[in-house]
Amino acid sequence: MERGRRTDRIAGALLLLVSAGYGLEAWRLQADFLADPLGPRAFPLLLAASLAVFSLYLLVRPDPDPAWPPPHVLRGQLGMLASFVVYSYALAPLGFLLATTLEMAWLSRLFGASWRTGLLGGLGLAAALYAIFVFGLGIPLPLGRWWPA
Amino acid sequence: MDVLAQLAHGFEVALAPLNLFLAFAGAFLGTLIGALPGIGPVNGVAILIPIAYALKLPPESALILLAGVYYGAEYGGRISSILLNVPGDAGAVITTLDGYPMAQKGKAGEALALSALSSFIGGTLAVIGLTLFAPYLAEWAIRFGPAEYFALMVFAFTTLASLAGKNPVKALIASVFGLMLATVGIDPGSGVPRFTFGELKLYDGVDFLVVAIGLFAISEVLTLMEHSFLGTATRVKVETALVSLKTFMGSLWTILRSSLIGFFIGVLPGAGASIASAVAYTTEKRLVDREGSFGSGDPRGVAAPEAANNAASGGAMVPMLTLGVPGSGTTAVLLGALMMFNVTPGPLIFEQRPEIVWGLIASMYIGNVMLLVLNLPLVGWFARILTVPRWFLVPAIAALSFIGVYAVNNSAFDLLFMTGIGVVGYLMRKAGFPLAPVILGLVLGRLMEINLRRALAISGGDYTILYASPLSKALWALAILSLFFPWIAGRLGRRR
Repeated sequence: MERGRRTDRIAGALLLLVSAGYGLEAWRLQADFLADPLGPRAFPLLLAASLAVFSLYLLVRPDPDPAWPPPHVLRGQLGMLASFVVYSYALAPLGFLLATTLEMAWLSRLFGASWRTGLLGGLGLAAALYAIFVFGLGIPLPLGRWWPA
Repeated sequence: MDVLAQLAHGFEVALAPLNLFLAFAGAFLGTLIGALPGIGPVNGVAILIPIAYALKLPPESALILLAGVYYGAEYGGRISSILLNVPGDAGAVITTLDGYPMAQKGKAGEALALSALSSFIGGTLAVIGLTLFAPYLAEWAIRFGPAEYFALMVFAFTTLASLAGKNPVKALIASVFGLMLATVGIDPGSGVPRFTFGELKLYDGVDFLVVAIGLFAISEVLTLMEHSFLGTATRVKVETALVSLKTFMGSLWTILRSSLIGFFIGVLPGAGASIASAVAYTTEKRLVDREGSFGSGDPRGVAAPEAANNAASGGAMVPMLTLGVPGSGTTAVLLGALMMFNVTPGPLIFEQRPEIVWGLIASMYIGNVMLLVLNLPLVGWFARILTVPRWFLVPAIAALSFIGVYAVNNSAFDLLFMTGIGVVGYLMRKAGFPLAPVILGLVLGRLMEINLRRALAISGGDYTILYASPLSKALWALAILSLFFPWIAGRLGRRR
């Protein structure tokens, strides 16, 4: 396999697997009664078959690889994604203000700000958003479990 | 004069204080979102949907706000194109070609004023086109049966595939991915849960908003990490935006022609603002550029793409409202928003919910006037927004995405799902898969399947019903033709 067209080959192979898995899952679908001649599995099977054909085409005629990000960018992106996961779980217990301030400070740092500016910017943004959403628009955001109720 | 009476009724809706305010808010936010490189209209609309939903706005008001963001963004996109040579959104890429050279010659104010006027004329002509064209198309489309609808949706996917990216097969894969996401949940025809893996949360299907925000906003934030091009302007100086009558008159025919081109390209399913502005620019270059000044700061080179991209966003409303088949990523998101409000666009909406359609159309007349005012005297204020540092802007986009998704269900699962979809969206962008077809597939999937099954229920399982009527035959022919269009065009181009 020549170098330089790996991305599409990998994507094609993965998509072929997806179409097989999706197709098998669709094949197993059974309806107790049939309201129409096609039933619940015909359309998904059509989709699985189309995806299989398209991904085979991708395997046979792949495009040249895109420029994937260099390691330092990749580290930043992974740091960002990790913080998204943490934020998802931390939002309810920590509350919107604290969680968002910390998350924003972390993201600002990834984009080149210092901890101090990031924290100040994050606090300002979190407070402003909280004011707009909770007091302005009446959309509730969590206060956090540590907050005296 | 039925149209005028309907339009008058629409103005009653649009002039209600709440709707007037929302049209202004949409125009303002749209200009802002368009002006900031990194957030385009799709992101803006997707992030605002949950807010509109949580505020329990009536559907016509929500649509007035969201559509305002959509066409307002086409105004705002030009600001950073002209001042920084960085397009504010995809429709404003072409505007950099002559806009930035004009700014370098010290004519930034002139370029901004002329492009604002072009945007206004293009946008307003498109709304007039929408007013005249849409009711007839809707009346005609009432005759569509399920087989015709199925063929029409296939046509929408194939035009999108041939126009949306470099590789049509990748766009088709993206469409199928979106359609597959749409099949998750309880099958409406038989009550069988499909692809839910026993997860109760998935019984209602994949949440459209979570996918839209993850796919566009989160993947955008990941992409922004990569590019340092989002050069924050250290100082942006805009003198008063004024254009001489002579320059304006010199561009008038360009503006009118480009508006027409933009409108019709916008009406085509699958083709949106970015294609319209490119086609208008190349057409004008061929027609009027005798001195070869296009590309080095010709005012007409600024007027053409701006008139076209605004006209295209108005034109794209035509198939979305009349057929219920959106033609672009953003109109697909708008359609999804309407479905969240339990409104199904299509030919019947003109009879059943006239306040939604005509209220929206009337508000677009008003919104374009507001946008002209916002974008002429206040352009300096929007230009100053470009000095917001990147370390603040990107986290703010992320925060708004998280609030938006969280506001719908208050669920951490949704936030994680959004992040996951964001990673998928990022990988797709990198590998050259367009994202708009995914949203189109997700929004149209159920309707497409229902129409297919209805058609075959009518015929008792006879597949020939799918191409029995002359109309469906024509739609299938168009679908096949559009799929091979890039290939045929390439062949013809080489022969020349």
